[in-house]
Amino acid sequence: MPQPEVRRSIKRSAVSDQQRRRELALLRQTQQRSDSQNRARRLASSVFTLSSSSSSDLILPDKGILTRAADSE
Amino acid sequence: IAGIELPQKQWPELITSLLSNIHQLQPHVKQATLETLGYICEEVSPQVVDQDQVNKILTAVVQGMNASEGSADVRLAATRALYNALGFSQTNFSNDMERDYIMRVVCEATLSPDVKIRQAAFECLVAISSTYYDKLASYMQDIFNITSKAVREDEEPVGLQAIEFWSSICDEEIDILDEYGGDFTADSDVPCYYFIKQALPALVPMLLETLLKQEEDQDQDEGAWNLAMAGGTCLGLVARTVGDDIVPLVMPFIQENITKPEWRQREAATYAFGSILEGPSPDKLIPVVNVALNFMLTALMKDPNNHVKDTTAWTLGRIFEFLHGSTLETSVITNENCQQILTVLLQSMKDVPNVAEKACGALYFLAQGYEDSPGSPLSPYFQDIIQSLLNVTHRDDAGESRLRTAAYETLNEVVRTSTDETAPVVTQLLPVIMLELHQTLETQKLSSDDREKQNELQGLLCGCLQVIIQKLGASETTKYAFMQYADQIMELFLRVFACRNATVHEEAMLAIGAVAYAVGGNFLKYMQGFYPYLEMGLQNFQEYQVCAITVGVVGDLCRALEEKILPYCDGIMTQLLKNLSSSQLHRSVKPPIFSCLGDIALAIGENFEKYLIYSMPMLQSAAELSSHAVATDNEMLDYANQLRNGILEAYSGILQGFKNCPKAQLLVPYVPHILQFLDKLYNEKDMDDAVMKTAVGVLGDLADTLGTHASTLMNQSVASIEFLEECLSSDDPSIKESAEWAKMAISRAVSV
Repeated sequence: MPQPEVRRSIKRSAVSDQQRRRELALLRQTQQRSDSQNRARRLASSVFTLSSSSSSDLILPDKGILTRAADSE
Repeated sequence: IAGIELPQKQWPELITSLLSNIHQLQPHVKQATLETLGYICEEVSPQVVDQDQVNKILTAVVQGMNASEGSADVRLAATRALYNALGFSQTNFSNDMERDYIMRVVCEATLSPDVKIRQAAFECLVAISSTYYDKLASYMQDIFNITSKAVREDEEPVGLQAIEFWSSICDEEIDILDEYGGDFTADSDVPCYYFIKQALPALVPMLLETLLKQEEDQDQDEGAWNLAMAGGTCLGLVARTVGDDIVPLVMPFIQENITKPEWRQREAATYAFGSILEGPSPDKLIPVVNVALNFMLTALMKDPNNHVKDTTAWTLGRIFEFLHGSTLETSVITNENCQQILTVLLQSMKDVPNVAEKACGALYFLAQGYEDSPGSPLSPYFQDIIQSLLNVTHRDDAGESRLRTAAYETLNEVVRTSTDETAPVVTQLLPVIMLELHQTLETQKLSSDDREKQNELQGLLCGCLQVIIQKLGASETTKYAFMQYADQIMELFLRVFACRNATVHEEAMLAIGAVAYAVGGNFLKYMQGFYPYLEMGLQNFQEYQVCAITVGVVGDLCRALEEKILPYCDGIMTQLLKNLSSSQLHRSVKPPIFSCLGDIALAIGENFEKYLIYSMPMLQSAAELSSHAVATDNEMLDYANQLRNGILEAYSGILQGFKNCPKAQLLVPYVPHILQFLDKLYNEKDMDDAVMKTAVGVLGDLADTLGTHASTLMNQSVASIEFLEECLSSDDPSIKESAEWAKMAISRAVSV
């Protein structure tokens, strides 16, 4: 069993500002990564140039009811 | 040696042969044997020792602790050995008779004539309180009597452990109540027995008594720990455990003592008040605080005793921390009293260092409460606040009581929470802090002691610059004001890297990330000078925080420079891949490295081609590891989810980076594995919301970039479709949004 941790006095702050700076920088980076990804996702896709001729039977959920997206085309 | 050999079953006779010593008559052999058994229990895991041997060890230990044992040294060694053996005693604590016997012996040892034995016995009780909380109900009355007597009458080291027992029970109950949101159901693992609530009427008066046992100069001594400090800390935990119920029990003590001529009584009353401000509801506390606030402000200015002023300033900080802010319906701070509060705090920042430090802390929380509130009543005084804080940092005695650190921390919070109307003042602050950093770099030939202080100051200044740059970089109008300083500031940071100090490097690195975020593509001109330090940061396994921060900065650079980062990518990728393969690097850095691979791929697009053959196998093996990881505890599960999130972010970045490029075909061979990974995640059912959002996004990225190539394979994966459906009906708007996008991308892919 490890030695008990020395308890921190209630009068001393539990989180240092340095830790806060790290966390805030991480938060900003996470937000910006997500923004960059969303920007990339919004760019129009031209996947048709890649697609093969095989047809797809992919079943997609739509409003809780499974519909055949390919069939609806 | 036993720690190495026993887990490998290489010394099976050891424990038996040690136990044969126990019946020897010489006390020193018994003592050494018990110490050795204690060390073994400390070193090896309980699974390594058979229950039969555990029983024998415990029998020997408990016999050694017995009052009939003639040698105090043997009793002490046995009591300390029991402390280590408690982790082995699950089975014995589940048996009523055995548990009763162990508890009786421990309780008897708390009454031993030897102070060291009493202290060790209380340490056992503290360990039992956290390890076997759910087995304590029938002993609590006796334990209360024993601890209460120890706190009131015994020597300080014993009394401290007795208080620690109650703090530890609070920790357990806070955790249990947090986990179940107060609604214990029969399904929960550990029920809350509400020991603190039951003990409250007797426990609170005992703790209040301890508050009067202060030491004269405890506030000047960083390492001080005494009955009054432990009592106040325990009282704070009790308040968090029981909430409103504590208020009527503490108020009479405060009212009786707060105006007494003896400083100990005034300080104890104030400390009691400050201690109970977290836990009870604002409804219960605000009326009390409204009555007390004026008194506290006057005490902070006029009380003749520094200790009272210190505790008063700290209590004001706690009031602002818990009873002020936009999330509360009513705040104790109004536009009317704000100016008076501010005047008092700025004045107190000129007081002796320990009082000034607490005044800075109070201002920190006052500013924090105005976060995101335009028209902050602090705005008209913003310049004065900044100037007062700078004055504190320049005090000759700012090195005492961590005053300088507190002043910079408060300055940072004041800047973070500032509004548009005070942006010009923040902009003016930038060259002031830059000049201070410049001055530290000009000082030559320092003694090692002075160099340490210098490094600390440089860390604080870089931290402050980071906060200012991040603030100015966040809005278009202020960003341009920052631009004019960018060259000079980068020059300063590069000079800072020449100083060999991990904290300073970390702070400068964080600040450079903020510069990249603010200046965008213009950062290219700094890359040549900065790159060697970037590489150095990525190689810093020893101070892994520096490495982690540097990985984050690589992400910032990718977003700032986009494809212009390409010339540096060979070097960066080589280092990142090395880091991923290294067993020396702290594991917490690995998930952000995976996310960083995604950042690089998104920035350089199809140029990532040459890194695919290295990074994809690495992602695959990490994916397998993270989906097979047996999440034995919450910490392990958290880590597995961080790893999964990093891997998925890497896939997302790579897929989006190749979108609309002919080379996207190169990714097709990897699709089955990515889908398998997503299927496994879905089937494991233990991913958190962040992973769920990223995972469903990757499903969309596959379709978005690879069209039918991916959707044909997706069609074979029932889990993918079920997963998408589950995300579409999620309560979490960000998961739902990602899922809607994925659904659209898949629809588009299959309709081609």
